[in-house]
Amino acid sequence: MSNAIIEVLDASVSYTIRQGASPTLKETVIQAFKRESHDIEIKALQNLNLTLHPGEVLAVVGRNGAGKSTLLKLLARVLPPTQGRVIVRGSVSPMIELGAGFNTELTGHENIVLYGTLLGRTPKEMRERAPFIAQWAGLEESIELPLRTYSSGMVARLAFAIATDTVSDLILIDEVLSVGDADFQEKSKARMKELISSQAAAVLVTHDDSAAREMAHKALWIDHGRVMQYGEVNSVIDAYLGA
Amino acid sequence: MSQPVYDSQARGRVFKDTFKAFWDYRELILLLVKRDIAVRYKRSFLGLIWTLLNPLLTSLVLWFVFITIFSARLPDGTQFAPYLLAGVLIVTFFTQGFNQAADSIAQGSGILMKIYVPPQVFAFAGAVSNAVNFCFGLIALAFISLITGDGISLYFPLTIFVILFMLMYVTGLGLLVAVAYIRYDDTRSIFGILISFMMYLSPIFYPKEILSDVMLRVVNANPLTSFLDVFRYVFSNTGTATLGDWAYMSGFSIFILVIGIRNFARAWPRTVVMM
Repeated sequence: MSNAIIEVLDASVSYTIRQGASPTLKETVIQAFKRESHDIEIKALQNLNLTLHPGEVLAVVGRNGAGKSTLLKLLARVLPPTQGRVIVRGSVSPMIELGAGFNTELTGHENIVLYGTLLGRTPKEMRERAPFIAQWAGLEESIELPLRTYSSGMVARLAFAIATDTVSDLILIDEVLSVGDADFQEKSKARMKELISSQAAAVLVTHDDSAAREMAHKALWIDHGRVMQYGEVNSVIDAYLGA
Repeated sequence: MSQPVYDSQARGRVFKDTFKAFWDYRELILLLVKRDIAVRYKRSFLGLIWTLLNPLLTSLVLWFVFITIFSARLPDGTQFAPYLLAGVLIVTFFTQGFNQAADSIAQGSGILMKIYVPPQVFAFAGAVSNAVNFCFGLIALAFISLITGDGISLYFPLTIFVILFMLMYVTGLGLLVAVAYIRYDDTRSIFGILISFMMYLSPIFYPKEILSDVMLRVVNANPLTSFLDVFRYVFSNTGTATLGDWAYMSGFSIFILVIGIRNFARAWPRTVVMM
């Protein structure tokens, strides 16, 4: 048995969409009776192979629509591959689109408990951790106020603080390093490094190539679902920028 | 050290996994239900009182319309007010529960497509929070029943079965249409019409005795009618609930839950990949 955190074995994701697919149910039903339309197969990811060990950081680069978010869905176990196999050993903490699980009517404290529970921790544990999380995010004073009174920077800080409160085996990061002001960016980068040095593996999807070079060991460049290059971070990013 | 291992090839069983998820995520469900109630409570001026007042006022309007305008009477001399309120409570549980079960997945899709939480948990929580609402409504119904002198049946604890089967029914229906809610913009309005049609084809505010033979058959084929009959029978001892009503209510709910779960498990990954 391998000790790798992530093993992706020849995984592909494809799906079919009906040509001229309609956003309404009425038209979709009518089209189904007409039988004029035909299906188009879309390959979101093709024959991907990946291995990531504890403490390793993988940067994923590529243009929009390259398949980066599909890859994150595979690793977050939200989506099974159409073909091939994905194995993830250990706990996963996703840091993607910070604040997506928040409710603006609830207070910061209530949101800490809810968001943390969505991430797989218990409400009891989150209630105990809440003061520390609020402190780390610099939100002690406003933690009992409803979230709708927060600025977007405050929301992002809170989300980052909750997601990085615990050490998990795999961290999935989608463009979060650009969150908050300069001070907070430094602080969050330091926190990321601390987590990674504690033997967590991380997958970092980013457009910021200097952050990728600084944090990652390996890089994966994908384009239209195909692997263009996979290997040492500097050589992959040089190739990507040169393309 | 026991670490959770995810293997995409280890195919689970749809039903076992879904029910296991309801159990494993029970704390999240409780939290989501509390959130629902808290948000409702915070947003309205009257707070929790509103959950009691809302069905009462709805019934009052219907009562006024039917007693004064149509001068309706129930044939067997039972009171109209508790009859009406019982109907309103069941129908509210059904329409709102269904809507929230389906909508909670659509509303939560942003997070559900990025963080691993079984989406069925959201649908179930949506149904449960309406069950809680229904229980608040029971207090109002008990109050009205005592005032009008109808009283409460000794069988009223059996209401728990009405709640359980309604939970299954609305969770199943919600799962059945949740994916359509996400993919198609007009689903909400189409189902809104279908649901209100189902509502009027059940005896909420009219006694079955006024129906023609044909309509009686149509209304009896509506599972909501069995829910109403059973509920009125066990709670107020009015109306008649046959063994057939019990069988239809439970059988239909289980059937809908089974296809809801199966259909959702198939349709969900296809939707996730497209988003």
